[in-house]
Amino acid sequence: MVRLDRDLFLIGRRGTADLPLNSADVSREHAEIVRDGDCYRLRDRGSRYGTFVNGDQVTEHTLAAGDTIRLGRVGSVELVFSLDAEPSALRSSASEAGDLRQMAAILSGLRALGSGRVLDEVLTLVMDSAIEVTKAERGFVMLADQEGVLEFKIARARGGVTLSGKSFTTSEKIPREVFSTGVSRMVADLLEGDFAGDHGGTIAIGIRHVQCVPLRVSEPGAGSEMGTTKVIGVLYLDGRERSTMTSGSAAASLEAFATQAALAIESARLYAESAEKARSDRDLRIAADIQRALLPEPRHERSTCDLAAVSLPSRTVGGDFFDYLDLNESDFGFALGDVSGKGPPAALLAAVVQSNFAAQAPVSSDPADTMARINKALLRRAIDARFSTMCYGVVSPDGNFSYCNAGQEPPLVIQRDGVRWLETGGPVVGLISTATYEYETVLLAPGDIVVIVSDGVTEARSVENDEFGRDRLLDAVRHCHGLKSEAVLDLLLSAVNRFAAGAPQADDITILVLRYKGPGPGQPAS
Amino acid sequence: MKLEERVAGDVTIITITGEITLSAGGDMQLKDKIQSLLQQGRKNVLLDLGGVSYVDSAGLGQLVQATVTASKNGGKVKLLNLTKRLNDLLVVTKLSTVFDVVEKESDF
Repeated sequence: MVRLDRDLFLIGRRGTADLPLNSADVSREHAEIVRDGDCYRLRDRGSRYGTFVNGDQVTEHTLAAGDTIRLGRVGSVELVFSLDAEPSALRSSASEAGDLRQMAAILSGLRALGSGRVLDEVLTLVMDSAIEVTKAERGFVMLADQEGVLEFKIARARGGVTLSGKSFTTSEKIPREVFSTGVSRMVADLLEGDFAGDHGGTIAIGIRHVQCVPLRVSEPGAGSEMGTTKVIGVLYLDGRERSTMTSGSAAASLEAFATQAALAIESARLYAESAEKARSDRDLRIAADIQRALLPEPRHERSTCDLAAVSLPSRTVGGDFFDYLDLNESDFGFALGDVSGKGPPAALLAAVVQSNFAAQAPVSSDPADTMARINKALLRRAIDARFSTMCYGVVSPDGNFSYCNAGQEPPLVIQRDGVRWLETGGPVVGLISTATYEYETVLLAPGDIVVIVSDGVTEARSVENDEFGRDRLLDAVRHCHGLKSEAVLDLLLSAVNRFAAGAPQADDITILVLRYKGPGPGQPAS
Repeated sequence: MKLEERVAGDVTIITITGEITLSAGGDMQLKDKIQSLLQQGRKNVLLDLGGVSYVDSAGLGQLVQATVTASKNGGKVKLLNLTKRLNDLLVVTKLSTVFDVVEKESDF
C-alpha cells in the first residue's frame, strides 16, 4: 500500500520518485498522479512503453477506486488505485508542525548529549530531518566562516542522498538574503513575482517552491538582559511542488526547528574546534619536551668552575637557549642565545643556532672566530630576517675568560672589588654577511661570577608596567661574589619573579651563571 | 603600524607610526613596502621613525634586511628621527654601524 500523500505524486525508475520502481519497462519519470480537489488524475509523462488503465493505454485519466494501472507492457508493473475511508491522503500541515516540534526535541536532546558528535553527522541529521518533515525534495545548509562568508556545508536530497554543492543550480540570492537579514523566506512559487529572472536555472529544473530559514544562536553574555543572537548560517529547502509548509504556524515550527538545529550545529562546531586545539596543544607539549631535551643539564660542576642555568619560555616553547661544552682538555665554553620572535618558529630557529654553536665551538678557542663562523653558517640558511643574539665565553683553568657578545644584553662580571658589563663583540648573528667580531679577555679570580641573561630578564614588566632593567639586575647580584652559581641564579630569578609578580611573562627568560673556583688541582693560578 | 609615503626629489620618504612588531604584522608590511619601492626603481628610501613607539626583534630584523636589500640593489635606506629606545636597541645589538642615520631630511 502506497499512500498518495502529496499533490503531485511521481512514479518512475528514478530513485527520487515518490514511488520508485525498478523495472526495465518503467521509464525514469514514467507517470504522475495529480490531486485536484477530491479528484486524482493519472498522467503519462511520455514513457517509452506507455501507461495503461484497466488494459487501455492512456495519456491522462481520472482515477476511480479499483482502477488497475499498468506501467509498460503486459507482465510489467501493475498498481491498483483505491480510496481510503478517510480520503485525506495528504497529511495536514498541523501534523507536520507536530513532526517538526518532535524533531526539534530530538535535536535539543542531541545538543544536551554533548557534542561527541562530529559536525558532519549533525548536519546530515538536520538536513534529512528537515527534508523528511517538510517533504521538500532537497536542501542544503550553508554556514558562515570566520570572515562571515557563507559556505556550502552539506546538500542532501530526499532518500538520504548527498549532493555536491555544485549540483545546486539554484540561485544563492535567497540564502544570502536570509543570512544578511536574519528573516525567513518562504517562496511559494518562483514563477510569481520578480524571482523568475534571478532563478532561471532553478526554475529550469522544475524547482518552484523554496523555504529558507536562518540558523540562529544566542551570543554569550554581552551583558544585555535581552541577549543578542547571531546568525551562523541558513537552512534551505526546495521542491517542485507547493509545500504545505508555507502556512504561518508551520513556518513558525520550521523556525523553531532551525533554532534547535543551529544550537546542535554550533555545539558540534565548537567541539570540533576544541578537539583540534587539544591536538595542537599536545603537539606543542611534545615540542616543549624536545626543546628541554636539547638543552644540557641546568647544573654543571667542574674542578675549575660551576654553572647553573634556567630557561623559562613565555609560551609553551621559546626562542632562548643555553649550552656549554668542553673545548679541549682544559678550556670550558658556554653560551646563551636569544632568537628573534616567539613560539614554535623561534624554537625551531633556536635549535638551528644551538646546533651551529655546538658544531662551530670546538673548532677554535677564539670566541670571536667562533661567532664569525656561526654568523656565516646561519646566513647560508638565512630565514628571512630572523636572527639571534648570542653571548659566548671561554674560561681557562688559569682564570682567563674570553668572551664575544653578539648583540646580547651585556653580561655582568662580579669581582671582589666591583662589577663590570661585558660589551665587546659584534652585531647579532644571522643577519649581516659583512659583520666582524671581536673578543675581550678578562682575568677571573676565584669566586668571580659571570651572569648572562636574555632580554626577557631586563625587559620583564611589573604590574605597573615598569621595566626590570639593568639597574635592578645589578642590584640583585651585586653582592654575590663567591656564592655558588646555583645560589646566584636563585637570587636573580626570585628578584625578577618578585618584580614581575602578577604581570604576564611577555618574553622568554633565560639566565646562565658561572662561578670561577680556581685553577683546580695541579694547576697554577696565573 | 601605519606607513605614509611621499617623494622629495629622488628620495622616497616613508613616515612610520605605531609599532614595528611581528604580532602587529608590521615586519612584513615594511618588507613588502621596501621591496615594491626597489622594484619601481625608487632606490633612495628614508625611513622617518619619529612616530614609532616600539620595535621588537622581528621589526629590527626587517629594518636591517631592508637596508641590506637596498644596498645589494644599488639603493640606500637611511633612518631619520630615531627614538632613544630604538637607538639603545641598536647600540645593544651593535647594529648602529649597519644603519645610516641622518639628522634631517635634506641630509640624505
